[in-house]
Amino acid sequence: MSLELVDVAKTFGTVHAVDGVSLSVASGEFFTLLGPSGCGKTTLLRLIAGIHPVTAGRVMLNGRDITHSPMHTRNLAMVFQNYALFPHLNVFDNVAFGLRSRRVARDEIRTRVREALALVKLEALAERLPAQLSGGQQQRVAVARALVVRPDLLLFDEPLSNLDARLRDEMRFEIRDLQRRIGITTVLVTHDIEEAFTMSDRMAVMQGGKIMQIGRASEIYRSPANRFVANFVGPINELALSDIETVGGRRRARAAAQLVVWLPNAEEGFGRNAQSLLLRPESLRVSAGKIETENRYAGEIEDVIYLGATSECRVKIGEVRLSAVMPSAAAAGLGPGERVSVGWNAQDGVLVDAG
Amino acid sequence: MLDRRAGVPWLFVAPLVLVMVVGFVWPLLQVLVNSLHPNTPQGIDAAHWTLGNYARLADPFYGEVLVRTLRISVIVTAITGVLAYPVALFVSRLPPRAQSLFLLAYISPWLINTVVKALGWTLLLRTNGVVNTLLRGLDVIASPLKLLISETGVIIALVPGHFMFVLLPLWVALSGLDPALSWAAGTLGARPSAVFWRVLLPMTLPPFVAGLVINFIMNMTAFAIPMLLGGARNMVASMLAYQVNLVSLDWPLGGALAVALVAFTLTVVWAGQRGAVLLVSGRGARA
Repeated sequence: MSLELVDVAKTFGTVHAVDGVSLSVASGEFFTLLGPSGCGKTTLLRLIAGIHPVTAGRVMLNGRDITHSPMHTRNLAMVFQNYALFPHLNVFDNVAFGLRSRRVARDEIRTRVREALALVKLEALAERLPAQLSGGQQQRVAVARALVVRPDLLLFDEPLSNLDARLRDEMRFEIRDLQRRIGITTVLVTHDIEEAFTMSDRMAVMQGGKIMQIGRASEIYRSPANRFVANFVGPINELALSDIETVGGRRRARAAAQLVVWLPNAEEGFGRNAQSLLLRPESLRVSAGKIETENRYAGEIEDVIYLGATSECRVKIGEVRLSAVMPSAAAAGLGPGERVSVGWNAQDGVLVDAG
Repeated sequence: MLDRRAGVPWLFVAPLVLVMVVGFVWPLLQVLVNSLHPNTPQGIDAAHWTLGNYARLADPFYGEVLVRTLRISVIVTAITGVLAYPVALFVSRLPPRAQSLFLLAYISPWLINTVVKALGWTLLLRTNGVVNTLLRGLDVIASPLKLLISETGVIIALVPGHFMFVLLPLWVALSGLDPALSWAAGTLGARPSAVFWRVLLPMTLPPFVAGLVINFIMNMTAFAIPMLLGGARNMVASMLAYQVNLVSLDWPLGGALAVALVAFTLTVVWAGQRGAVLLVSGRGARA
């Protein structure tokens, strides 16, 4: 069951909550809408569900135009941020709700609800009321209630944000695993990068009601389309560029008005007007000895911050400050004031335009 | 230490308990005691005990008054319940400022003196009043409807008068309801009518029934409107109580009447609450 959005827009008064979004989600794909709060991702999800009418554009589910279909006819299911379990119904009746709406026979309801509860390991709690369940259990009931109707499309609105950290990690894999086993097309909304990266096949990064970039986690992390995406999906060092020139088939530029740096080789035209070079902290090398990277400079360590498995090294090259992350073992001998070599391979840099 | 703290909540409610005991429980007991004494031309005969006052209530006249009071009250409460729910739903989804304006409009009848209200209704409902003139002008009716000095008039005037007692608790409950509950029901395939019967109504039932109960009691005890719009021919319990207690000065009979009315009202309220719960759980399971 594939989902396709064509130029979908939603306006609340004068606010463009969703501003011309087009994307397609393949059958069985786990797709994530990722972005900071207020970027329009939840509104977009509600447009797909039919909770709000769209202002413009089309929503297609498996080739069927559902843009103006009322939500109860769309055959999709949604897991809400606060789960939205019906407090007056016990677990069994909550899960059975969608089946009763579809006028499924009584015996079949009993079988399918039992199956759904078994899937989320809650068979024993069928008689409990939602208020008698923990957050994680409520979450499972919400998932079972959504899956039991065998929807064409499963929607998640920040489903894990109300859980504590450990449970969140556990549920991520559980939901991902369940989705793979059932093979259901899924759209998830989150502001949590780690959640998006661990759960989804592909994701769309959104800002200001628009899609900034669509791609796999690695594409979005390694080749962000712009400064916003780069910043949003992880910490970066940013160097302003000037005087870009081509020397012997390679391009170099002046960075932060001080350093001469080799730039990543790019396809024809790409990065021609680039104004910044972005560097992930983990692509920087810092060493008291010699390093072999294409760009390398003499620097001085300002601070070393121990983070467990990794350590963050703050270094200064002249007046340019950079942050590097490395395995803690590699940072063991380093301390503030130490003179070191700092460098990176030209290909690890990312060029972005202004904005 | 613990024991002293345990007494603190009682300290807080003590003033109200005192007021209720002195101003309500004690007079009520007095009424009960009066109802068990015979009445004499000299006043209450406190030396003798009797159930005769209750026996007098068996007179068909009193039964008729009680049944009429009940009929009017039930009809008004039913109309109010059916009308108030959509209004509460509508108002709870408006922007805050519009909500206050709407609520004010529905509360305003309560801000006007009942007698003034009743006189206003007289102008609207009399034979040559606004309503009849309008309906005849539009050729809806041939001859004027008898809206004054009739139960119809009393019902028409009581509905807006006591509307807010159902509307306000419902509005509070619906405003506090998480919209995601309706969305969850809708995405799970429930049509809007099923969302109402299976989610909204069961979840707002306690405040809704509470509002209906208050409304019903207000209708049972209404005095000025039935008196001015219903007239002596459509006597209700409150008018009868007035007549017996303050005109005939027959306090024992008045007491018996009051006790019967309280018992009657409580029974109806209890039955109504049970019925509402059963209705919704039945509909909810089937829908």
